[in-house]
Amino acid sequence: MIKCENLEKTYQLKRGHGFQALKGIHLNIGHGEFAAITGPSGCGKSTLLNILGLLDNPDGGRYHFEERDVSSFGDHERSRLRLEAVGFVFQSFNLLPRFSSLDNVCLPMLYLGVDKEEAGERARALLEKVGLKGKEENTPLELSGGERQRVGIARALANGPRLLLADEPTGNLDSRTGLEVMDLLRGLNAAGLTIIMVTHDQSLAKAASRVIKVRDGRIEP
Amino acid sequence: MRFSEAVRTGTMEIFSHKMRSFLTFFSISIGVISIMYSLTLIYAMSSRAKKALEVAGPGRMTVAMKRGGNSESAMDAKEAKSVITLEDAMAVRKQFPELFMVSPGLKKWVEISHGALNDEKVAEGITTEWKRRGWVYKVKGRFLNQHDLDTYARVCVIIEDGGWMKKPKWYKFYGWQDKFQEYIKHNDMLGQTIRLGNNLYTVVGILREPPAEKNPKYFMGVSNWDPSILVPITTSQRFLNGWAWSSGGVDDITVDTGKEATINAYKTRIDKLIKARHGGRIRFEIKDYREIIKERLADKQRDMYTVLIIGAIAILAGGIGIMNVTLATIYSRIKEIGIRRAIGATRGDIMGQFIIEAMLIGFFGGVAGILLGMAGIQYLASKGDTDMMLLQWWMPFAAIGVAVVTGFLASLYPAYQASKLDPVEALRYE
Repeated sequence: MIKCENLEKTYQLKRGHGFQALKGIHLNIGHGEFAAITGPSGCGKSTLLNILGLLDNPDGGRYHFEERDVSSFGDHERSRLRLEAVGFVFQSFNLLPRFSSLDNVCLPMLYLGVDKEEAGERARALLEKVGLKGKEENTPLELSGGERQRVGIARALANGPRLLLADEPTGNLDSRTGLEVMDLLRGLNAAGLTIIMVTHDQSLAKAASRVIKVRDGRIEP
Repeated sequence: MRFSEAVRTGTMEIFSHKMRSFLTFFSISIGVISIMYSLTLIYAMSSRAKKALEVAGPGRMTVAMKRGGNSESAMDAKEAKSVITLEDAMAVRKQFPELFMVSPGLKKWVEISHGALNDEKVAEGITTEWKRRGWVYKVKGRFLNQHDLDTYARVCVIIEDGGWMKKPKWYKFYGWQDKFQEYIKHNDMLGQTIRLGNNLYTVVGILREPPAEKNPKYFMGVSNWDPSILVPITTSQRFLNGWAWSSGGVDDITVDTGKEATINAYKTRIDKLIKARHGGRIRFEIKDYREIIKERLADKQRDMYTVLIIGAIAILAGGIGIMNVTLATIYSRIKEIGIRRAIGATRGDIMGQFIIEAMLIGFFGGVAGILLGMAGIQYLASKGDTDMMLLQWWMPFAAIGVAVVTGFLASLYPAYQASKLDPVEALRYE
């Protein structure tokens, strides 16, 4: 599903030379995998995740997503692909604070042009699936951390993505709710969804079917 | 992203920053008020000019003596002894029988009395062709005829005020009571004998004006020199004593060629003819109707430009306000932009969202401005501003349109900036 060849990414700094975050990444991830990317902070794992999630473009190398070379895609094409094929789950949830859970989950569908009624129906079903029935009208401020992350997951699933990217999904949660969220992700993976998760927690990484260790911009063998 | 959804989000954003939005509304509404005021003025001007042209006909011109004339040399003043006469008018008529109208006029300020009435009024000496000068009247009795003119008949026609269909409030307070009009309203003058100057005249007809709202002449401006009484010009010259502008001749000759195209050609021909008749020793001028209307509207035009400039400045200030608010909104919502981009919003989606928000601010500000402005215009109209009575139903919509377009233009740059944000950096922004 994902094929990366020699991915490179350099950040331009104000002074001096650029900072090379990725120094030639080779990576293949197949359908239905649950991959965990681990490594120390600053090793480039978030940069890699952003490139895999089409938020960022690599400076060098090739990135094939579902057999298509997306490294040459323009902003508009990447946005569309992100909208329909990729779901993001963030460490800090990144929900819109003034919107209800239902509206937050509806948002990606509305960008895709789904009818408002239908989007509402689907969002309700998704919230029920992640165990938040009855909290549809609550805003994120009225929810606990675990509940917020469930809303985040429901939002990521809104357009039926083929790839779910999670950046430290349990980083802001206590261990018990963290485990619950992990169970949820594992369930989704069991149903066939490809998941790539960034974490520095080795115990969580063990839950994944495959662990990819990144160090200093390269993948450790 | 659906338009309705963007509108909903925008409205939410506007109402969650009440003070900020209120200030922007305020500046926009001031702009809208001035735009609406100037629209009304412009409309009033053009509709007056149009109505005046309709009444007058587009081929109208006036031959009259040059007034003032300090700029002329002493030589010219000495040379210029002749005045325009009734005979000039007759000569023009004879020379150019194809002209629609050649109507000389001679106004005199005369004493008038009948029964309890004793007043001073303007009586205009005319020929039968006066009929063609924008006839808006209903006749009781008859109009002056050629026989009256030929025989120096001591007859007159009275013009009766049409009143109002709905009297404006200001009229009750500020409208002066016209003794003469009051008198003829309560006394049937047809067939009566009245005294004008030192002679007695028979009232052979009464011309009733339409109500003021329907009278295009009213909106051209009321003048004390509008005549209330018409007499044959020959009679006026021979018998009527009263004060007049021109001694010996006539005030002016109003000519109508019938169509606008021929106006310049006849201007030259008539000029030549009259000059020849007076051996060049005459200082007169021919103004066509467009010039006359232009002169009459010149003051209004100055007003209009002033208001229009103020309106444009106010709208500009409002636009800068919107731009500022949009920029502030964007800086306070960088994170949100990042989230939306991560979810899959395109640059166009982000740009559209902020533009729609700014247009909404323009719209709400516009509506607020309309409400205030309408109240103000109604007030001015009730105080007797005849321009403001001409407020049209579409003007508020046009003003709101201007406000919305201002919002659109003012938000283009900030929205473009927002759409250019790097999604990764925007997401990381705290």
